[in-house]
Amino acid sequence: MKNPYIPYEVKIEEAWYETPGDRCIKTFKVTFADEKVWDDWSHLPGQCAMVGIPGVGESMFCISSSPTEKGYLRFSIMKMGKNTSALHELEAGDSFYVRGPLGNNFPLEEWKGKNVITIGGGIGQAPLRPVIQWIRDNRDDFGELTVIYGARTSADHCFKPEFEDLGSCGDACCHLAVDVEEEGWPHFVGFVPTLLMEVSPSPENAIAVTCGPPIMIKFVLENLEKLGFAPEQVYTTLENRMKCGIGKCGRCNVGHLYVCKDGPVFSYSQLKEIPEAFA
Amino acid sequence: MVDIEKLREIAREIISRDDVRQLIGYRQGTYGFRARPAFVTDPGEVDKLIFSPACVNNLATYITLEERLPVPRGQEPDLRKVAVMVKGCDSRALVQQMEEKAYERERILVLGIPCTGVVDMDKVEKRFPGVLARGEIVLEGDKFLLTYDGKEEEVAKGELLADKCTRCRYPTPLVYDQLLDEEVARFADDDYADVEALEKRSAEEKWAYWEEKFSRCIRCYSCRNVCPMCYCEDCVLDRLNPQWMRRSVDVSENTAYHIARAYHLAGRCIQCGECQRVCPVDIPLMELNRKFYKDVEELYDYEPGTNAEAPPLLSTFKVDDREDFIM
Amino acid sequence: MAVKKLSKDKVKEALQELTKFRLIAPAKSDEVVIFKQIENPDEAYLEYGNSTVPPKRVVFPQTETLFRFLRGSPELKEKDVEEEGTTVIFGLRPCDARAMAIVDRLFSWDYEDPYYLKRRQLTTLVGLACVEPPSVNCFCTSLGGSPFGTEGLDILLTDMGDHYLVQALTEKGEKLQETLSAHLEDAPAGDEKKAEELAAAAEGKIARSINTEGIPEKLPTLWEHELWKKVSAACLGCGICTFLCPTCHCFDIQDEVEETGEGRRARMWDSCMFSEYTLHASGHNPRPTRRERTRNRISHKYSYYPKRFEVIACVGCGRCINLCPVNIDILEILEQVVDAS
Repeated sequence: MKNPYIPYEVKIEEAWYETPGDRCIKTFKVTFADEKVWDDWSHLPGQCAMVGIPGVGESMFCISSSPTEKGYLRFSIMKMGKNTSALHELEAGDSFYVRGPLGNNFPLEEWKGKNVITIGGGIGQAPLRPVIQWIRDNRDDFGELTVIYGARTSADHCFKPEFEDLGSCGDACCHLAVDVEEEGWPHFVGFVPTLLMEVSPSPENAIAVTCGPPIMIKFVLENLEKLGFAPEQVYTTLENRMKCGIGKCGRCNVGHLYVCKDGPVFSYSQLKEIPEAFA
Repeated sequence: MVDIEKLREIAREIISRDDVRQLIGYRQGTYGFRARPAFVTDPGEVDKLIFSPACVNNLATYITLEERLPVPRGQEPDLRKVAVMVKGCDSRALVQQMEEKAYERERILVLGIPCTGVVDMDKVEKRFPGVLARGEIVLEGDKFLLTYDGKEEEVAKGELLADKCTRCRYPTPLVYDQLLDEEVARFADDDYADVEALEKRSAEEKWAYWEEKFSRCIRCYSCRNVCPMCYCEDCVLDRLNPQWMRRSVDVSENTAYHIARAYHLAGRCIQCGECQRVCPVDIPLMELNRKFYKDVEELYDYEPGTNAEAPPLLSTFKVDDREDFIM
Repeated sequence: MAVKKLSKDKVKEALQELTKFRLIAPAKSDEVVIFKQIENPDEAYLEYGNSTVPPKRVVFPQTETLFRFLRGSPELKEKDVEEEGTTVIFGLRPCDARAMAIVDRLFSWDYEDPYYLKRRQLTTLVGLACVEPPSVNCFCTSLGGSPFGTEGLDILLTDMGDHYLVQALTEKGEKLQETLSAHLEDAPAGDEKKAEELAAAAEGKIARSINTEGIPEKLPTLWEHELWKKVSAACLGCGICTFLCPTCHCFDIQDEVEETGEGRRARMWDSCMFSEYTLHASGHNPRPTRRERTRNRISHKYSYYPKRFEVIACVGCGRCINLCPVNIDILEILEQVVDAS
């Protein structure tokens, strides 16, 4: 039997900061040290991996690249605790270790032919990025793509160059926001849930996906309901403290569901039944 | 002997007060001779309160164990008092907590129980195995009277008495707002005979002894959690970043844990014995605590938990402090 | 295979025979009984009620290495469980064996846990029937177990007074019985019938019970019920109830590095009753108080686990009741769940 606790070594091809500050976000573009691993590896948007350094630890992160981006994986990691601080020390040429892919994925097969609206806040854009990329790379399979994204300031926006690209190529309708007024900001000023109401997407033949801070998700879910989205049309991802990532160690459960194994992707109709989901 | 009706009457008055939020006392346990903590917030609940030699828990722990979540915006914090029943030994935990400024005296209302000794439940259950129906223990003179399953048995006090009670210097609480009975005069003293016996062993003997004990430890942390003096909000043992102590369980880490625990209680342990009582694998933790207790008394003439106005021993320096033991 | 008898005066030589394997048996230090590896048959203590620490620690050690590494080197050296060799747990109680059968479902669900499962493969379980229930708080019969239960066991021993009745239950058990054949004799006629009578008598002596019907479905409906605050009020937040539970299986994973640069990734028992169990790196804790933690402990055992694995994760061994420092009693909690509206 394959040992699911043994990680693969990955080499950093490129690493760059997405955002500044104490809780800065750094993106790592990596490839497996042993090329043969690619033969066994297949992931889908929404899936995660345990990322870490032997001697420091491991934490669960979403894979922020789409499988349509061949030959590399991307992780965008916010500096938060012990493990993420150690990862932030690493640069191109360095290695770290990855276990995965873990968890479930966004049901993009089921979404074929539908309009997709992504609603992200801060680092919450990381799991949405592979969804957007997947749709762009399979453009004819989907209807309209609407991307709503906000962060505290423009400097706190992840994936900035990609948004510029998205806006100009006609693949998607982009709506960006910052929480507070700043000079030279041409887009929306205010919180993401408010921007969502401004954009006011139609629920007809549509799927909404939202990731971000819990408080944002709470109001986005409320607003989506106001816009007429049924719980089955709404998806989000959850996160919890994790250790094994494979449904054994126990700690990440919300109600009877393991976030690591049954998630991280859940439909709102699933979560509505779980009082602990938004604890 | 605490009159239960009087206890309940006083409790009813206290819990009816506007400035009291909760009363922590004892009630009958779920089986056999056990008693357990009771948390009363309503006058209607006072009739479950009891006191008997089965009331072994030190309830002072709950004063500092209480979880205080952030007060939601727009709400006022609940500043009402907590009333707590304490025996003599337990009261010293309150004194020591207040000596360390864990909280203000006004926060608590103390119901003192002059105590004639509690049982060691292990001894009781060994002597009367297999008792499921709720039984009762009372002290009559120098005998415990045990009633269960329609039977009544007498046992000499010394046979079931908790070890700590055989050397109790403070049977009457040292802090209280109301005393539930007449003061109990000191009926025992501490000659540290047990500690002296341990001190006489060679270093090798001591190591072999403790290695075997610590090898059993499962690090459930019940000894820490039950301790009224272990109330740091952010315990060094729980710290994940940086991690001061490994979570792996082996003799080495277990020893480090127990040394850290004992040292943090030097000059603070008030000898309620709860750590040793709750240990599921019977590690004689009080032997460590008592060694420190004896040293502190001999070196500094200080007994923790006896004077709320005194500065805590280890945060004070006196020029004439003894230092001949420093290597 | 025929039932056999193991005469009590031959127990030591049988145990001696078994020391060619990794032999685990109950042993007593002070008043505490713990399963441990024994090299000398005299260390085994079979006249016990039940062990304080369940034998789950043999197949799921409190701390175990997953792999080793050297800082700076990319090579990871996986721990080889096979090295531990064939293991016999001798004299465990039926409830603790049944607990292993229950936990097997978790460790083999979806991803297979190689450490646990290999160790299970290597281990033969020789049970000791409870002629007398070890504790007043035993309630195995409420959970589908029994003092003479065989689920999870390879061999069942029954104390018949001057000898043990030996019944092999599985292929593994038969193999071990074969190994012990020199020390076994044919069982006296009527032994099996007598054992059945002892079993019925032992079941009758189980004094506590709970009707679990409907509890798994009801628990999620009581999420905000006031009972959780009440039943957790006295909780100290220690790990006794979970660490000493034969079905509790939660663990932490930690990396440990020595000054030499040699290190290991290890896992160790963790408890849902500890506050840092669910603490996020951000400082947020989705289960901020003992109320939420107690609710999770009971819900996991009696609702989440049966929902996924079709069996309640409790065998009624009574340890959590016997050893709780503040007499929190799972049966009382479950009764409140049943009565709650």
